[in-house]
Amino acid sequence: MASAGSGDEKAAAAAMITLISSDNEKFEVTEATATLSQTIRHMIEDGCTDGGVPLPNVTSKILARVIEYCKKHATAAAGEEGSSSSFSDAAFLEVDRAFLEELEEFDDAFLEVDRATLFDLILAANYLDIKGLLNLTCQKVADSVKGKTPEQIREMYNIVNDLTPEEEAEIRRETQWAFE
Amino acid sequence: MDPPPPARRDPAMDLLAAAAATALMDELVEEVLIRVPPDDPATLVRAALVCKRWCRLIAGASFRELHPRPPMLGFLYQRRDGTDFVPTSSFRPPHAVCDGWRVLDARHGRVLLLNAAELYNTMEMALIVWDPVTDNQQSLPIPQLPPFAWNAALLCTTAGCDHLDCRGGPFLVIGVTTTGGTDNLGEGRACAHIYSSEQGAWSERNTVVQHHNGCDGIVRRVHGALVGNAIYSNYEMSTKILEYDLGRQELSTINLPSAFHGWQILLMEADDGVLGFATVQDSKLCLWAREAGVHRNVGWAQRRVIKLDKLLPVPDYNRSASLDAYTIASAPFVVAVADGIDVIFLWTDDGLFSIYLKSSRVEKIGEFISDLGVVPYMSFCTPALGRLDR
Repeated sequence: MASAGSGDEKAAAAAMITLISSDNEKFEVTEATATLSQTIRHMIEDGCTDGGVPLPNVTSKILARVIEYCKKHATAAAGEEGSSSSFSDAAFLEVDRAFLEELEEFDDAFLEVDRATLFDLILAANYLDIKGLLNLTCQKVADSVKGKTPEQIREMYNIVNDLTPEEEAEIRRETQWAFE
Repeated sequence: MDPPPPARRDPAMDLLAAAAATALMDELVEEVLIRVPPDDPATLVRAALVCKRWCRLIAGASFRELHPRPPMLGFLYQRRDGTDFVPTSSFRPPHAVCDGWRVLDARHGRVLLLNAAELYNTMEMALIVWDPVTDNQQSLPIPQLPPFAWNAALLCTTAGCDHLDCRGGPFLVIGVTTTGGTDNLGEGRACAHIYSSEQGAWSERNTVVQHHNGCDGIVRRVHGALVGNAIYSNYEMSTKILEYDLGRQELSTINLPSAFHGWQILLMEADDGVLGFATVQDSKLCLWAREAGVHRNVGWAQRRVIKLDKLLPVPDYNRSASLDAYTIASAPFVVAVADGIDVIFLWTDDGLFSIYLKSSRVEKIGEFISDLGVVPYMSFCTPALGRLDR
Protein backbone atom coordinates (compact mmCIF):
# COMPACT_ATOMS: atom_id res chain seq x y z
CA MET A 1 0.00 0.00 0.00
CA ALA A 2 1.22 3.48 -0.78
CA SER A 3 2.01 5.62 2.21
CA ALA A 4 2.20 9.36 2.60
CA GLY A 5 4.13 8.72 5.80
CA SER A 6 2.49 11.39 7.89
CA GLY A 7 -0.48 9.51 9.40
CA ASP A 8 -0.68 9.47 13.18
CA GLU A 9 0.21 6.27 15.02
CA LYS A 10 -3.28 5.33 16.07
CA ALA A 11 -4.57 5.58 12.51
CA ALA A 12 -1.63 3.61 11.20
CA ALA A 13 -2.89 0.57 13.09
CA ALA A 14 -6.09 0.60 11.01
CA ALA A 15 -6.22 -0.21 7.30
CA MET A 16 -5.28 2.91 5.35
CA ILE A 17 -6.36 4.03 1.89
CA THR A 18 -4.65 6.65 -0.26
CA LEU A 19 -6.89 9.03 -2.21
CA ILE A 20 -5.39 11.01 -5.10
CA SER A 21 -7.03 14.30 -6.12
CA SER A 22 -7.28 15.63 -9.69
CA ASP A 23 -4.23 17.85 -9.04
CA ASN A 24 -2.30 14.77 -7.92
CA GLU A 25 -2.23 15.44 -4.19
CA LYS A 26 -2.27 12.31 -1.99
CA PHE A 27 -4.45 11.95 1.12
CA GLU A 28 -4.08 9.00 3.44
CA VAL A 29 -7.27 8.11 5.32
CA THR A 30 -8.55 5.16 7.36
CA GLU A 31 -10.77 2.65 5.64
CA ALA A 32 -13.61 3.61 8.02
CA THR A 33 -13.36 7.22 6.80
CA ALA A 34 -13.02 6.31 3.13
CA THR A 35 -15.94 3.86 3.10
CA LEU A 36 -18.47 6.57 3.89
CA SER A 37 -18.13 6.93 0.13
CA GLN A 38 -20.04 4.08 -1.52
CA THR A 39 -17.91 4.58 -4.64
CA ILE A 40 -14.69 3.93 -2.68
CA ARG A 41 -16.32 1.13 -0.65
CA HIS A 42 -17.05 -0.74 -3.89
CA MET A 43 -13.46 -0.20 -5.08
CA ILE A 44 -12.14 -1.62 -1.80
CA GLU A 45 -14.48 -4.60 -2.09
CA ASP A 46 -13.25 -5.20 -5.63
CA GLY A 47 -9.65 -5.01 -4.34
CA CYS A 48 -8.59 -2.22 -6.68
CA THR A 49 -7.24 0.34 -4.23
CA ASP A 50 -3.58 -0.71 -4.25
CA GLY A 51 -1.43 2.19 -5.35
CA GLY A 52 -4.08 4.67 -4.30
CA VAL A 53 -7.52 5.68 -5.55
CA PRO A 54 -7.40 8.34 -8.27
CA LEU A 55 -10.30 10.78 -8.09
CA PRO A 56 -9.98 12.79 -11.34
CA ASN A 57 -13.21 14.73 -10.67
CA VAL A 58 -12.22 16.12 -7.26
CA THR A 59 -9.64 18.85 -6.61
CA SER A 60 -7.35 18.71 -3.55
CA LYS A 61 -9.16 21.70 -2.02
CA ILE A 62 -12.55 19.95 -2.19
CA LEU A 63 -11.17 16.51 -1.32
CA ALA A 64 -9.63 17.93 1.88
CA ARG A 65 -13.09 19.24 2.89
CA VAL A 66 -14.80 15.97 1.97
CA ILE A 67 -12.28 14.02 4.08
CA GLU A 68 -12.84 16.41 6.97
CA TYR A 69 -16.57 15.61 6.77
CA CYS A 70 -16.04 11.85 6.45
CA LYS A 71 -13.61 11.70 9.41
CA LYS A 72 -16.12 13.40 11.69
CA HIS A 73 -19.06 11.30 10.52
CA ALA A 74 -17.13 8.02 10.51
CA THR A 75 -16.41 8.62 14.21
CA ALA A 76 -20.12 9.27 14.70
CA ALA A 77 -21.09 6.05 12.91
CA ALA A 78 -18.62 4.06 15.04
CA GLY A 79 -20.07 5.67 18.18
CA GLU A 80 -23.63 4.74 17.16
CA GLU A 81 -22.70 1.11 16.60
CA GLY A 82 -21.12 0.91 20.02
CA SER A 83 -24.04 2.47 21.85
CA SER A 84 -26.78 0.49 20.14
CA SER A 85 -25.25 -2.91 20.96
CA SER A 86 -25.28 -2.99 24.72
CA PHE A 87 -25.59 0.43 26.34
CA SER A 88 -28.94 2.05 26.50
CA ASP A 89 -29.12 3.65 29.90
CA ALA A 90 -29.68 7.31 30.48
CA ALA A 91 -26.01 8.22 30.91
CA PHE A 92 -25.13 6.86 27.52
CA LEU A 93 -28.16 8.47 25.90
CA GLU A 94 -26.96 11.75 27.40
CA VAL A 95 -23.55 11.20 25.81
CA ASP A 96 -25.24 10.35 22.51
CA ARG A 97 -27.29 13.53 22.60
CA ALA A 98 -24.24 15.67 23.33
CA PHE A 99 -22.41 13.98 20.48
CA LEU A 100 -25.31 14.53 18.07
CA GLU A 101 -25.41 18.20 19.03
CA GLU A 102 -21.69 18.46 18.40
CA LEU A 103 -22.18 16.79 15.02
CA GLU A 104 -24.92 19.27 14.14
CA GLU A 105 -22.63 22.16 15.08
CA PHE A 106 -19.90 20.65 12.94
CA ASP A 107 -22.29 20.37 9.97
CA ASP A 108 -23.43 23.98 10.38
CA ALA A 109 -19.83 25.22 10.47
CA PHE A 110 -18.93 22.92 7.56
CA LEU A 111 -21.55 24.64 5.38
CA GLU A 112 -20.06 28.11 6.00
CA VAL A 113 -18.42 28.20 2.57
CA ASP A 114 -18.74 30.31 -0.56
CA ARG A 115 -21.20 29.22 -3.24
CA ALA A 116 -18.57 27.83 -5.64
CA THR A 117 -17.21 25.57 -2.89
CA LEU A 118 -20.70 24.46 -1.90
CA PHE A 119 -21.51 23.48 -5.49
CA ASP A 120 -18.20 21.63 -5.84
CA LEU A 121 -18.94 19.79 -2.60
CA ILE A 122 -22.31 18.69 -3.99
CA LEU A 123 -20.71 17.44 -7.20
CA ALA A 124 -18.05 15.58 -5.20
CA ALA A 125 -20.62 14.09 -2.80
CA ASN A 126 -22.58 12.84 -5.79
CA TYR A 127 -19.53 11.42 -7.57
CA LEU A 128 -18.22 9.75 -4.41
CA ASP A 129 -21.76 8.68 -3.42
CA ILE A 130 -21.68 10.03 0.14
CA LYS A 131 -25.36 10.13 1.07
CA GLY A 132 -25.07 12.26 4.21
CA LEU A 133 -22.90 14.91 2.56
CA LEU A 134 -25.12 15.05 -0.53
CA ASN A 135 -28.18 15.51 1.67
CA LEU A 136 -26.51 18.17 3.80
CA THR A 137 -25.22 20.27 0.90
CA CYS A 138 -28.31 19.93 -1.33
CA GLN A 139 -30.54 20.89 1.59
CA LYS A 140 -28.44 24.04 2.03
CA VAL A 141 -29.06 25.01 -1.62
CA ALA A 142 -32.76 24.10 -1.33
CA ASP A 143 -33.04 26.33 1.77
CA SER A 144 -31.35 29.18 -0.11
CA VAL A 145 -34.22 29.22 -2.65
CA LYS A 146 -36.79 29.95 0.08
CA GLY A 147 -38.18 33.47 -0.09
CA LYS A 148 -36.41 34.30 -3.38
CA THR A 149 -38.08 35.54 -6.56
CA PRO A 150 -37.58 33.54 -9.79
CA GLU A 151 -35.29 36.34 -11.04
CA GLN A 152 -33.11 36.14 -7.93
CA ILE A 153 -32.86 32.35 -8.21
CA ARG A 154 -31.85 32.60 -11.89
CA GLU A 155 -29.13 35.05 -11.02
CA MET A 156 -27.86 32.97 -8.10
CA TYR A 157 -27.61 29.80 -10.15
CA ASN A 158 -26.75 31.21 -13.57
CA ILE A 159 -29.93 29.94 -15.22
CA VAL A 160 -31.46 31.22 -18.46
CA ASN A 161 -35.24 31.61 -18.44
CA ASP A 162 -36.66 29.63 -21.35
CA LEU A 163 -40.34 29.86 -20.38
CA THR A 164 -42.41 31.75 -22.95
CA PRO A 165 -44.17 34.89 -21.66
CA GLU A 166 -47.48 33.05 -22.19
CA GLU A 167 -46.39 30.07 -20.08
CA GLU A 168 -45.11 32.34 -17.37
CA ALA A 169 -48.30 34.40 -17.40
CA GLU A 170 -50.47 31.29 -17.10
CA ILE A 171 -48.60 29.98 -14.08
CA ARG A 172 -48.56 33.41 -12.44
CA ARG A 173 -52.28 33.90 -13.04
CA GLU A 174 -53.12 30.67 -11.20
CA THR A 175 -50.62 31.13 -8.40
CA GLN A 176 -50.80 34.84 -7.58
CA TRP A 177 -50.77 34.01 -3.87
CA ALA A 178 -47.17 32.82 -4.19
CA PHE A 179 -46.01 36.28 -5.25
CA GLU A 180 -47.79 38.43 -2.67
CA MET B 1 -11.26 26.22 6.83
CA ASP B 2 -11.91 28.46 3.91
CA PRO B 3 -11.95 32.20 4.55
CA PRO B 4 -15.48 33.60 4.92
CA PRO B 5 -17.00 34.85 1.65
CA PRO B 6 -15.84 38.39 0.86
CA ALA B 7 -18.30 41.18 1.45
CA ARG B 8 -17.50 42.77 -1.92
CA ARG B 9 -18.13 40.55 -4.93
CA ASP B 10 -15.00 39.19 -6.48
CA PRO B 11 -15.43 38.80 -10.28
CA ALA B 12 -13.15 35.75 -10.35
CA MET B 13 -15.17 34.10 -7.60
CA ASP B 14 -18.38 34.93 -9.47
CA LEU B 15 -17.03 33.20 -12.57
CA LEU B 16 -16.04 30.14 -10.52
CA ALA B 17 -19.43 30.06 -8.83
CA ALA B 18 -21.17 30.45 -12.19
CA ALA B 19 -19.21 27.57 -13.71
CA ALA B 20 -19.84 25.35 -10.70
CA ALA B 21 -23.51 26.35 -10.69
CA THR B 22 -23.89 25.43 -14.35
CA ALA B 23 -22.30 22.03 -13.74
CA LEU B 24 -24.41 21.51 -10.64
CA MET B 25 -27.67 22.54 -12.21
CA ASP B 26 -27.06 20.34 -15.24
CA GLU B 27 -26.53 17.23 -13.17
CA LEU B 28 -28.04 17.67 -9.77
CA VAL B 29 -30.82 20.23 -9.83
CA GLU B 30 -33.30 17.45 -9.08
CA GLU B 31 -31.40 16.53 -5.88
CA VAL B 32 -31.79 20.14 -4.78
CA LEU B 33 -35.43 20.68 -5.74
CA ILE B 34 -36.74 17.51 -4.12
CA ARG B 35 -35.48 18.92 -0.83
CA VAL B 36 -37.79 21.95 -0.95
CA PRO B 37 -40.57 20.87 1.45
CA PRO B 38 -43.93 20.28 -0.30
CA ASP B 39 -45.72 22.23 2.41
CA ASP B 40 -43.92 25.36 1.19
CA PRO B 41 -45.83 25.68 -2.09
CA ALA B 42 -44.96 29.39 -2.51
CA THR B 43 -41.27 28.54 -2.79
CA LEU B 44 -42.08 25.67 -5.16
CA VAL B 45 -44.17 27.89 -7.42
CA ARG B 46 -41.48 30.57 -7.57
CA ALA B 47 -38.84 27.91 -8.27
CA ALA B 48 -41.01 26.48 -11.03
CA LEU B 49 -40.95 29.89 -12.77
CA VAL B 50 -37.15 29.83 -13.00
CA CYS B 51 -37.10 27.83 -16.24
CA LYS B 52 -38.85 24.99 -18.07
CA ARG B 53 -36.64 22.31 -16.61
CA TRP B 54 -37.27 23.36 -13.02
CA CYS B 55 -40.98 23.59 -13.76
CA ARG B 56 -41.06 20.07 -15.21
CA LEU B 57 -39.07 18.68 -12.27
CA ILE B 58 -41.36 20.23 -9.67
CA ALA B 59 -44.52 19.08 -11.47
CA GLY B 60 -42.89 15.80 -12.44
CA ALA B 61 -43.25 12.20 -11.38
CA SER B 62 -40.10 11.85 -9.29
CA PHE B 63 -40.97 14.85 -7.15
CA ARG B 64 -44.44 13.47 -6.58
CA GLU B 65 -43.09 9.97 -5.89
CA LEU B 66 -41.07 11.42 -3.03
CA HIS B 67 -44.20 13.00 -1.65
CA PRO B 68 -46.81 10.30 -2.16
CA ARG B 69 -49.31 12.17 0.01
CA PRO B 70 -50.22 15.77 -0.72
CA PRO B 71 -49.20 18.27 1.98
CA MET B 72 -51.62 19.94 4.37
CA LEU B 73 -52.15 23.45 3.01
CA GLY B 74 -54.50 24.52 5.78
CA PHE B 75 -57.82 23.64 7.33
CA LEU B 76 -61.44 24.65 7.02
CA TYR B 77 -62.57 26.25 10.25
CA GLN B 78 -66.27 26.26 10.99
CA ARG B 79 -67.25 29.39 12.87
CA ARG B 80 -70.75 30.31 14.00
CA ASP B 81 -71.87 31.96 10.74
CA GLY B 82 -69.50 30.71 8.09
CA THR B 83 -66.35 28.81 7.22
CA ASP B 84 -62.80 30.15 6.86
CA PHE B 85 -59.79 28.66 5.14
CA VAL B 86 -56.95 28.93 7.66
CA PRO B 87 -53.54 28.34 6.02
CA THR B 88 -50.95 26.17 7.76
CA SER B 89 -48.53 26.48 4.80
CA SER B 90 -47.38 29.28 2.49
CA PHE B 91 -50.47 28.67 0.28
CA ARG B 92 -53.14 31.38 0.24
CA PRO B 93 -56.53 30.70 -1.43
CA PRO B 94 -58.07 33.38 -3.69
CA HIS B 95 -61.01 33.48 -1.26
CA ALA B 96 -60.56 32.37 2.33
CA VAL B 97 -63.95 33.36 3.75
CA CYS B 98 -67.23 31.55 3.03
CA ASP B 99 -69.90 33.44 4.95
CA GLY B 100 -73.12 31.51 5.43
CA TRP B 101 -71.58 28.12 4.60
CA ARG B 102 -70.76 25.19 6.84
CA VAL B 103 -68.06 22.67 6.00
CA LEU B 104 -69.05 19.01 5.77
CA ASP B 105 -65.97 17.40 4.25
CA ALA B 106 -62.76 18.03 2.30
CA ARG B 107 -60.93 15.41 0.28
CA HIS B 108 -58.97 15.07 -2.96
CA GLY B 109 -58.53 18.82 -3.36
CA ARG B 110 -62.19 19.72 -2.93
CA VAL B 111 -64.41 20.95 -0.11
CA LEU B 112 -68.09 20.09 0.44
CA LEU B 113 -70.05 23.03 1.86
CA LEU B 114 -73.63 23.20 3.12
CA ASN B 115 -75.52 26.47 3.52
CA ALA B 116 -76.29 27.42 7.08
CA ALA B 117 -80.04 27.82 6.34
CA GLU B 118 -80.33 24.02 6.31
CA LEU B 119 -80.29 24.16 10.08
CA TYR B 120 -83.68 25.85 10.09
CA ASN B 121 -85.33 24.75 6.88
CA THR B 122 -84.29 21.82 4.71
CA MET B 123 -86.28 23.32 1.82
CA GLU B 124 -83.62 26.01 1.58
CA MET B 125 -80.74 23.58 1.65
CA ALA B 126 -77.88 24.12 -0.79
CA LEU B 127 -74.70 22.11 -1.30
CA ILE B 128 -71.60 23.19 -3.19
CA VAL B 129 -68.26 21.62 -4.00
CA TRP B 130 -65.50 24.22 -3.81
CA ASP B 131 -61.85 24.05 -4.84
CA PRO B 132 -59.89 26.54 -2.69
CA VAL B 133 -56.90 26.41 -5.08
CA THR B 134 -58.68 27.30 -8.34
CA ASP B 135 -61.72 28.88 -6.61
CA ASN B 136 -64.03 26.82 -8.84
CA GLN B 137 -67.49 26.14 -7.41
CA GLN B 138 -70.10 23.65 -8.42
CA SER B 139 -73.65 23.61 -7.05
CA LEU B 140 -75.25 20.23 -6.44
CA PRO B 141 -78.94 19.45 -6.78
CA ILE B 142 -80.73 19.31 -3.44
CA PRO B 143 -81.09 15.81 -2.04
CA GLN B 144 -84.14 14.73 -0.05
CA LEU B 145 -82.55 14.35 3.36
CA PRO B 146 -83.96 14.66 6.86
CA PRO B 147 -82.68 17.72 8.79
CA PHE B 148 -79.62 17.17 11.01
CA ALA B 149 -79.65 13.39 10.82
CA TRP B 150 -77.26 13.02 7.90
CA ASN B 151 -73.62 13.38 7.09
CA ALA B 152 -71.83 13.47 3.76
CA ALA B 153 -68.41 12.65 2.39
CA LEU B 154 -66.77 13.69 -0.87
CA LEU B 155 -64.28 11.74 -2.93
CA CYS B 156 -62.69 11.58 -6.37
CA THR B 157 -63.82 8.68 -8.55
CA THR B 158 -61.34 8.86 -11.42
CA ALA B 159 -60.29 5.25 -12.11
CA GLY B 160 -56.74 4.50 -10.97
CA CYS B 161 -56.25 8.03 -9.62
CA ASP B 162 -53.34 8.68 -7.24
CA HIS B 163 -55.31 11.66 -5.81
CA LEU B 164 -52.34 13.99 -6.07
CA ASP B 165 -53.81 16.40 -8.59
CA CYS B 166 -57.33 15.17 -9.38
CA ARG B 167 -59.22 18.36 -8.63
CA GLY B 168 -61.03 18.63 -11.98
CA GLY B 169 -62.13 14.99 -12.28
CA PRO B 170 -65.41 13.26 -11.51
CA PHE B 171 -66.46 12.90 -7.88
CA LEU B 172 -69.03 11.26 -5.64
CA VAL B 173 -70.81 12.63 -2.59
CA ILE B 174 -71.92 9.89 -0.20
CA GLY B 175 -74.74 11.01 2.07
CA VAL B 176 -75.70 8.78 4.97
CA THR B 177 -79.04 9.47 6.63
CA THR B 178 -80.35 8.04 9.83
CA THR B 179 -84.05 7.87 10.52
CA GLY B 180 -86.10 6.22 13.21
CA GLY B 181 -87.10 9.29 15.10
CA THR B 182 -86.48 10.30 18.62
CA ASP B 183 -89.52 8.65 20.11
CA ASN B 184 -87.57 5.63 21.29
CA LEU B 185 -90.10 3.42 19.54
CA GLY B 186 -89.29 1.00 16.77
CA GLU B 187 -86.03 0.33 15.02
CA GLY B 188 -83.89 3.04 13.46
CA ARG B 189 -82.60 2.85 9.89
CA ALA B 190 -79.57 4.17 8.11
CA CYS B 191 -79.67 4.73 4.38
CA ALA B 192 -77.15 5.80 1.70
CA HIS B 193 -77.71 8.56 -0.88
CA ILE B 194 -75.13 8.96 -3.63
CA TYR B 195 -74.46 11.96 -5.86
CA SER B 196 -72.39 11.27 -8.95
CA SER B 197 -70.93 14.31 -10.76
CA GLU B 198 -70.92 12.31 -14.00
CA GLN B 199 -74.65 11.65 -13.80
CA GLY B 200 -75.39 15.03 -12.20
CA ALA B 201 -78.02 13.46 -9.95
CA TRP B 202 -78.64 11.85 -6.58
CA SER B 203 -79.72 8.27 -6.23
CA GLU B 204 -80.82 6.35 -3.18
CA ARG B 205 -79.03 3.05 -2.70
CA ASN B 206 -81.25 0.24 -1.65
CA THR B 207 -79.05 -0.48 1.34
CA VAL B 208 -80.35 -0.09 4.81
CA VAL B 209 -79.05 -1.13 8.19
CA GLN B 210 -81.07 -1.36 11.36
CA HIS B 211 -79.63 0.25 14.43
CA HIS B 212 -80.62 1.26 17.91
CA ASN B 213 -83.78 3.22 18.28
CA GLY B 214 -84.12 6.74 19.57
CA CYS B 215 -81.48 9.45 19.76
CA ASP B 216 -78.72 6.86 19.83
CA GLY B 217 -79.15 6.40 16.12
CA ILE B 218 -78.38 9.89 14.78
CA VAL B 219 -75.33 10.02 12.54
CA ARG B 220 -72.74 12.46 13.83
CA ARG B 221 -71.96 15.36 11.53
CA VAL B 222 -68.18 15.29 11.67
CA HIS B 223 -65.52 14.63 9.07
CA GLY B 224 -65.63 10.89 8.36
CA ALA B 225 -62.83 8.65 7.17
CA LEU B 226 -62.04 7.09 3.80
CA VAL B 227 -60.13 3.88 4.41
CA GLY B 228 -59.48 1.45 1.59
CA ASN B 229 -62.66 1.34 -0.46
CA ALA B 230 -65.08 2.39 2.26
CA ILE B 231 -66.37 5.58 3.86
CA TYR B 232 -66.92 5.54 7.61
CA SER B 233 -69.16 7.72 9.77
CA ASN B 234 -70.15 7.34 13.35
CA TYR B 235 -73.30 7.86 15.35
CA GLU B 236 -73.58 10.54 17.97
CA MET B 237 -74.37 8.32 20.94
CA SER B 238 -74.11 4.77 19.72
CA THR B 239 -71.27 2.28 20.06
CA LYS B 240 -71.48 1.46 16.35
CA ILE B 241 -69.77 2.83 13.24
CA LEU B 242 -71.44 3.03 9.84
CA GLU B 243 -69.46 1.65 6.90
CA TYR B 244 -70.39 2.34 3.27
CA ASP B 245 -68.53 -0.02 0.97
CA LEU B 246 -67.97 1.78 -2.35
CA GLY B 247 -67.45 -1.46 -4.28
CA ARG B 248 -70.43 -3.41 -2.99
CA GLN B 249 -72.44 -0.18 -2.52
CA GLU B 250 -73.67 -1.44 0.80
CA LEU B 251 -74.02 -0.08 4.30
CA SER B 252 -73.06 -2.11 7.33
CA THR B 253 -72.18 -1.43 10.95
CA ILE B 254 -69.07 -2.15 12.99
CA ASN B 255 -68.89 -2.16 16.79
CA LEU B 256 -66.51 0.19 18.58
CA PRO B 257 -64.48 -1.28 21.44
CA SER B 258 -66.72 -1.48 24.49
CA ALA B 259 -66.85 1.68 26.62
CA PHE B 260 -66.50 4.00 23.60
CA HIS B 261 -69.34 6.07 22.19
CA GLY B 262 -69.48 7.94 18.93
CA TRP B 263 -69.25 11.40 20.45
CA GLN B 264 -65.92 10.56 22.12
CA ILE B 265 -64.01 9.47 19.05
CA LEU B 266 -62.86 10.67 15.64
CA LEU B 267 -62.45 8.12 12.87
CA MET B 268 -59.18 8.09 10.93
CA GLU B 269 -56.96 6.02 8.70
CA ALA B 270 -54.36 4.31 10.89
CA ASP B 271 -50.74 4.36 9.67
CA ASP B 272 -50.94 0.96 7.98
CA GLY B 273 -54.09 1.81 6.04
CA VAL B 274 -56.69 0.25 8.33
CA LEU B 275 -59.61 1.94 10.07
CA GLY B 276 -58.65 3.64 13.30
CA PHE B 277 -59.88 6.29 15.67
CA ALA B 278 -58.42 8.93 17.97
CA THR B 279 -59.78 9.86 21.37
CA VAL B 280 -58.67 11.60 24.55
CA GLN B 281 -58.96 9.74 27.86
CA ASP B 282 -57.56 10.99 31.17
CA SER B 283 -55.33 13.61 29.51
CA LYS B 284 -53.93 11.02 27.12
CA LEU B 285 -54.36 10.96 23.36
CA CYS B 286 -55.16 7.33 22.48
CA LEU B 287 -54.97 5.93 18.96
CA TRP B 288 -56.84 2.72 18.18
CA ALA B 289 -56.90 0.58 15.05
CA ARG B 290 -58.79 -2.43 13.74
CA GLU B 291 -56.69 -5.56 13.84
CA ALA B 292 -57.31 -9.11 12.81
CA GLY B 293 -57.52 -11.33 15.89
CA VAL B 294 -57.82 -15.06 16.44
CA HIS B 295 -60.38 -17.14 14.51
CA ARG B 296 -60.50 -14.46 11.79
CA ASN B 297 -62.27 -12.06 14.12
CA VAL B 298 -61.52 -8.43 13.55
CA GLY B 299 -61.10 -6.52 16.77
CA TRP B 300 -59.65 -3.29 18.01
CA ALA B 301 -56.24 -2.64 19.53
CA GLN B 302 -54.88 0.45 21.21
CA ARG B 303 -51.81 1.30 19.15
CA ARG B 304 -50.39 4.38 20.79
CA VAL B 305 -50.85 6.54 23.87
CA ILE B 306 -49.46 10.07 24.03
CA LYS B 307 -49.45 11.84 27.38
CA LEU B 308 -50.86 15.30 26.78
CA ASP B 309 -49.90 16.85 30.11
CA LYS B 310 -46.29 17.08 28.92
CA LEU B 311 -47.29 18.62 25.57
CA LEU B 312 -50.31 20.80 26.25
CA PRO B 313 -51.66 23.01 29.00
CA VAL B 314 -54.03 20.35 30.40
CA PRO B 315 -56.37 21.42 33.23
CA ASP B 316 -55.87 20.03 36.69
CA TYR B 317 -59.16 18.22 37.35
CA ASN B 318 -58.51 17.61 41.03
CA ARG B 319 -58.16 21.31 41.64
CA SER B 320 -60.94 22.50 39.36
CA ALA B 321 -63.43 19.94 40.71
CA SER B 322 -63.33 21.63 44.08
CA LEU B 323 -64.26 25.02 42.60
CA ASP B 324 -67.63 26.17 41.39
CA ALA B 325 -69.06 25.02 38.08
CA TYR B 326 -67.97 28.10 36.15
CA THR B 327 -64.30 27.46 36.66
CA ILE B 328 -64.30 23.77 35.80
CA ALA B 329 -62.06 23.34 32.80
CA SER B 330 -63.10 20.98 30.03
CA ALA B 331 -60.85 18.15 28.92
CA PRO B 332 -59.07 18.45 25.56
CA PHE B 333 -60.77 16.58 22.72
CA VAL B 334 -59.94 15.52 19.19
CA VAL B 335 -61.57 17.77 16.56
CA ALA B 336 -59.87 16.57 13.39
CA VAL B 337 -57.34 14.14 11.96
CA ALA B 338 -55.30 14.89 8.84
CA ASP B 339 -55.13 11.40 7.34
CA GLY B 340 -51.90 10.31 5.79
CA ILE B 341 -49.75 13.02 7.31
CA ASP B 342 -50.33 12.06 10.94
CA VAL B 343 -51.51 15.38 12.30
CA ILE B 344 -54.20 15.48 14.96
CA PHE B 345 -56.09 18.64 15.90
CA LEU B 346 -56.99 18.97 19.56
CA TRP B 347 -59.29 21.42 21.21
CA THR B 348 -58.42 22.70 24.67
CA ASP B 349 -59.60 25.57 26.81
CA ASP B 350 -56.48 27.39 25.63
CA GLY B 351 -57.29 27.10 21.94
CA LEU B 352 -56.68 24.81 19.01
CA PHE B 353 -53.48 22.73 18.88
CA SER B 354 -52.01 20.43 16.24
CA ILE B 355 -49.95 17.39 17.22
CA TYR B 356 -47.55 15.91 14.67
CA LEU B 357 -47.53 12.22 15.58
CA LYS B 358 -44.25 11.33 13.86
CA SER B 359 -42.23 13.97 15.68
CA SER B 360 -44.49 14.50 18.74
CA ARG B 361 -44.26 18.21 17.85
CA VAL B 362 -47.09 20.38 19.15
CA GLU B 363 -48.13 23.72 17.68
CA LYS B 364 -50.71 26.12 18.98
CA ILE B 365 -52.77 27.19 15.99
CA GLY B 366 -54.74 29.93 17.64
CA GLU B 367 -57.44 31.08 20.01
CA PHE B 368 -60.41 29.95 17.99
CA ILE B 369 -63.58 30.67 19.89
CA SER B 370 -65.86 28.09 18.37
CA ASP B 371 -65.50 24.34 18.40
CA LEU B 372 -68.01 23.70 15.64
CA GLY B 373 -65.63 22.03 13.25
CA VAL B 374 -62.18 21.73 11.76
CA VAL B 375 -61.53 19.88 8.49
CA PRO B 376 -57.91 19.61 7.28
CA TYR B 377 -57.23 20.41 3.62
CA MET B 378 -54.50 18.36 1.95
CA SER B 379 -53.62 19.04 -1.68
CA PHE B 380 -50.92 20.00 -4.11
CA CYS B 381 -51.64 23.46 -5.43
CA THR B 382 -49.65 23.87 -8.63
CA PRO B 383 -52.11 22.78 -11.32
CA ALA B 384 -50.72 25.09 -14.02
CA LEU B 385 -47.27 23.53 -13.81
CA GLY B 386 -48.42 20.13 -15.02
CA ARG B 387 -49.97 21.65 -18.15
CA LEU B 388 -46.68 22.97 -19.45
CA ASP B 389 -45.89 19.90 -21.51
CA ARG B 390 -49.34 19.44 -22.94
